[in-house]
Amino acid sequence: MTVGIFGRGRVADTLRERVVSDTTARVIVAPLVVESVPVAQITDEQIDRLWEQPMRTVITELQRAHSEGCRRIVVVVPTTGMSGGAQYAAVSAAAEAMRVLVKSAARQWGTSGITVNAVALAPEAFGVDAAVSGPVSIAPRALEGDVDPVATVSFLCSEAAAHVTGQTFVCDGGLWM
Amino acid sequence: MSARGTSLDGRVAIVTGAGQGVGEGIARRLAQHGAIVVVAARRAATGEPVAEAIRSEGGRAVCIETDVTKGVSIAACVARAVEEFGRLDIVVHNAFTGAIPHRLEEAVLDKHWKGMSLTAGWASLQCAREAHPHLAAASRRPRGEGAGRYVLITSPSGVEGSANIPLYSPAKAAQRAIAKSLAREWGPDGINVNCIAPVAASPSLLTAFDRNPALQQAIEARTPLGRVGDITDDIGSVALFLAGDDSSYVTGQTIVCDGGSFLGL
Repeated sequence: MTVGIFGRGRVADTLRERVVSDTTARVIVAPLVVESVPVAQITDEQIDRLWEQPMRTVITELQRAHSEGCRRIVVVVPTTGMSGGAQYAAVSAAAEAMRVLVKSAARQWGTSGITVNAVALAPEAFGVDAAVSGPVSIAPRALEGDVDPVATVSFLCSEAAAHVTGQTFVCDGGLWM
Repeated sequence: MSARGTSLDGRVAIVTGAGQGVGEGIARRLAQHGAIVVVAARRAATGEPVAEAIRSEGGRAVCIETDVTKGVSIAACVARAVEEFGRLDIVVHNAFTGAIPHRLEEAVLDKHWKGMSLTAGWASLQCAREAHPHLAAASRRPRGEGAGRYVLITSPSGVEGSANIPLYSPAKAAQRAIAKSLAREWGPDGINVNCIAPVAASPSLLTAFDRNPALQQAIEARTPLGRVGDITDDIGSVALFLAGDDSSYVTGQTIVCDGGSFLGL
């Protein structure tokens, strides 16, 4: 069954091409506007663009997935929300807010058999510049090679994941632990 | 008590939402330890009595009417504090509004999200923006004479989600991410940024207890320490630690102050 993928960019394109499911599922790739700015210089227009509008979009998309009867919902975010990032405070705030919103949705919609989970990818998948934001971890990445989130997202979109909800699967090769 | 960190003599602190509840408790505790406290409250009718109570106990405090949903009001509060007292060392952003129980699928953004977004996401960034040069200046003072501190009041729900007020959790989660980001960004300036996630006997919680006595029993039963926190003795004291010199090597952290109820960090 085809999975509806919301979002733009390389991550969304990859998931749109390859994620399948045996039930009704929706994947929401965090609609972040990734832009670095020191908080001392941030403007109200930037707060609106980097924080407010992405949040409004993701809330609306979760509501749409619910109204369309999706049984599996996955929100894909960068680990930047968990780690924080210098000059990415507003982006980081939106990413973490989306990740925790998943938990609220999971708590409310669980009685309807709907699961809601997050998949967290390395910051660079969303265009966050690690040279600016600072390292995600003090330890090096555990695994080598390219990270492919398709299998992880596909699992969370499947009937097999019926008892997994409110979780964050970090899919970054073992960088954030 | 340690000899080093408990004195805030001469330091200037702004506490938003200090007209009642957790903000009031924090304002009182900081003032008890020598800070000049700006009670930043939306209404003077609530903020002025807190400032007066602090003054009556021998402390120094003024009330500045501040609406944290408006950036210009935050900027005016910071400017007046610096103009009046010559410095700003500590900002505790506690003010928060808009938490209304709702179903996520039925939530109306302007009713169930806007207020929380403005007071948590927007105001946390705007307070930071306006305070930064003054907090950096405080950190340039000789050790023991000042240090920039930014403290955000979040919630355990900002970590674990909420079934009752689902959009409350992302608003509070945002503050934790902002604290971590600012800890990285402002570390070179010597400014420490941390969060407190409290559960305390605020007026809203006490009202809920009056309406539903079983709620108090339920909260106390699930809390290892068996009681609800006091706004001054329990929460204010953690804020004092984060505002003072004893926390000089602590930044980017969230201290959950809820009697051990939430152990998920």
